[in-house]
Amino acid sequence: MSAPLSRLILLSAAVSLATLSNPASAQAYSGPKVTLTFLHGFTGADRPVMEGLIKKYNDTHPNVQVRGQAQPWGTTWQQLPTLVASGKAPDVVVINEDQITGFVARGAVSPLTPAELKAAGINKTNFFGPLFATADYKNQAYGVPISSVAYVMFYNKDLMKKAGLDPSKPPRTRAEFLKAALACTVDKSGKKAGEAGFDPKNLDTWGVSLYNNWVGSRAAYAAILQNGGQLVDKDQNAAFNSPQAVSAVQFLVDLVQKQHVARPNSTEEAELAAFSQGKVCMFPSGQWYLDRFETQKMNFGVTFFPRVGGSVKDAAWGGSSHLTLPKQPSGYDANKRKAALDFMAWISQPAQNLTWTSTGSLPTQGAVAQNPAFEKTSISGIFDRLGSVYATSGYPWVGQVMGPFDQAWEAAYLGKKTVSQALSDGVKESNKQIEQARKNFQ
Amino acid sequence: MTVTQAHPRTDTAPAPRPRRRLVLEPYLYLLPHALLFFLFTVYPIGYGLYISVHRWDLLNPVKAFVGSEFYRNLFTPGTPQADFFWHTLWNTTFFTIVSVPLLLAAALGLALLLHRPIFGRAFFRAVFFMPGILTVSVMGILWRWMFDNQIGLVNAARDVLLNAQPIPWLSTEGLAWVPIVVGTVWWTLGFNMTLYLAALGNVPLSLYEAASLDGATPWQSFRFITLPLLAPVTLFVFVTTALASFQLFGQSLVITGGGPSRSTQSVIQYITEEGFSNSQYSSATAMGFAFGLIMLIFTAGQFSIMARDVKGN
Repeated sequence: MSAPLSRLILLSAAVSLATLSNPASAQAYSGPKVTLTFLHGFTGADRPVMEGLIKKYNDTHPNVQVRGQAQPWGTTWQQLPTLVASGKAPDVVVINEDQITGFVARGAVSPLTPAELKAAGINKTNFFGPLFATADYKNQAYGVPISSVAYVMFYNKDLMKKAGLDPSKPPRTRAEFLKAALACTVDKSGKKAGEAGFDPKNLDTWGVSLYNNWVGSRAAYAAILQNGGQLVDKDQNAAFNSPQAVSAVQFLVDLVQKQHVARPNSTEEAELAAFSQGKVCMFPSGQWYLDRFETQKMNFGVTFFPRVGGSVKDAAWGGSSHLTLPKQPSGYDANKRKAALDFMAWISQPAQNLTWTSTGSLPTQGAVAQNPAFEKTSISGIFDRLGSVYATSGYPWVGQVMGPFDQAWEAAYLGKKTVSQALSDGVKESNKQIEQARKNFQ
Repeated sequence: MTVTQAHPRTDTAPAPRPRRRLVLEPYLYLLPHALLFFLFTVYPIGYGLYISVHRWDLLNPVKAFVGSEFYRNLFTPGTPQADFFWHTLWNTTFFTIVSVPLLLAAALGLALLLHRPIFGRAFFRAVFFMPGILTVSVMGILWRWMFDNQIGLVNAARDVLLNAQPIPWLSTEGLAWVPIVVGTVWWTLGFNMTLYLAALGNVPLSLYEAASLDGATPWQSFRFITLPLLAPVTLFVFVTTALASFQLFGQSLVITGGGPSRSTQSVIQYITEEGFSNSQYSSATAMGFAFGLIMLIFTAGQFSIMARDVKGN
């Protein structure tokens, strides 16, 4: 499906959704006219969509004028502390999942009280639970999700059929996944993985793409969560060397070293090329490759990352953007805050979120995911488990945890260290960094 | 030196009394530059020093004074800074040691070839200079693809020509430097080559003629005429190339991301990580000053060599 066409369908569906299901928030802002500044990082193809939404809000809300400003995310992360400290912060700022807890813990963002959320008509139970909770800190809400992406698993339907698998039933469990991966792995002389004389060094096709960079490391993240592990413990110290974590990551490394269904020493680019060329059955990566495979007219499907790490729960990594209200000086106009909450409520409503999904974002809430407009899209293959997408947030030192974690994955995947050694080294380094970072929050 | 009319030398006449009223004048001429200098050089250095001795975060109302804590971290075994600052500083030094001689020798070699009146000389000069106009990201992605572990052109060529197994360049410690060094040489060679070409144009042809009359071989002409006369340019190229190599950042960031296991991480990349990924601004600033001091000592050494060279001439 071409992008403009899908956008058209989504827009028309958004219109019908808006007229049919009038959301609960009847209490629109009714105070004196205010102007709000709204800083966000949607600077690419998503920018006109965001500007269209802002215009629509301004047209339908005569006493609020929202002025959108798009600037690259990185610039905002660097400027926000200065803006807040000098009392010149914008009224509404969009902050991403890996930054939000840091800004919250450093006091740059103000909490959204249950009363405020209620008055504005924002009901957190409408959203996918972990997605909304991404902006929570110490049992308080600090943001409302408007955009979301996830780590998914692409699979080549033709190749799966050729391997004797049913492409309409992508694997969900570890056993199904391993069976599919083995069936897809054939060496250049036609021998399958496990057969006598099978040569893992000369693969013609193989089961799954694993690779060394941070995107590849998100497979390990998902596997650890699926096995009941966490990256940090309840004291927010690194804990990704727990028995659950080691066993989950070991399974992934064994796919390379024991089962030979994934290539060793591979890179994201190499695996992407291999998947595009029809050499690998399953390619776990960010959903952002969707466009590429669609343009290429591949016969592929998208499914939620199967439970390879364990059977405790479904889990995959996700990234998200959240509307927040930065901390303002004491003389800040209370009407502005009310209007800002009204804007946040409006733009996160199902109709607007449906429009926003035309940018490639996932729905932020079940009501949008159920929209018939998605039925024929390949991304809907993960919609049955959108409530199991978990961002890396909730602790103010995401950088200190994810840096060593990504390096631990690289060392384990490349076989430079054993899994438990790699994870333990990573935890040790991470906790040294956290110990230093913690002094900033005292 | 000739004496200009405006300032006649009057040795015999008594020196005029200094006119105190005008003593402000030279400073007023300097003022525009001084303002910019204080605003953009002195003030940031001062503010940076302040940041490096406090636990500094704009959002934190309390910016506690910690003295030399962030400097001492660099020398306290067991801290991440003591491990990674020196490790990445060594990486950067290693890169400099390997890439500078290559950049000097290759540039000189190309300049010697393209100095001669060969066919298509201007075309080849342009070809070798052209990579330099690319941005570091374009250059980095290009060489990352060339040396990809699985699908890179280098491994493909090895497969076709030698029937050899692919080498995991990007994820093997040591070998990961190959794409970074080769890419950097390819990228920045043209500028050095241009400097050498200009200098070669200044070598008097009469010297070569005299040498050939005396029966000198081409090697002897190169060794005893070309090389000594190029010495000042070589020193200049060496100093600028070495300083640029110590600034290594983009190439290793794009090609290997600093991996595997920080083995190609440059010191500036580590400082950036400490500041903007770990939000440890004070620690990053302190390391910035430490690195700056090391660079200053290095540059002072180079300047003294340069001064000696100028005196020697």
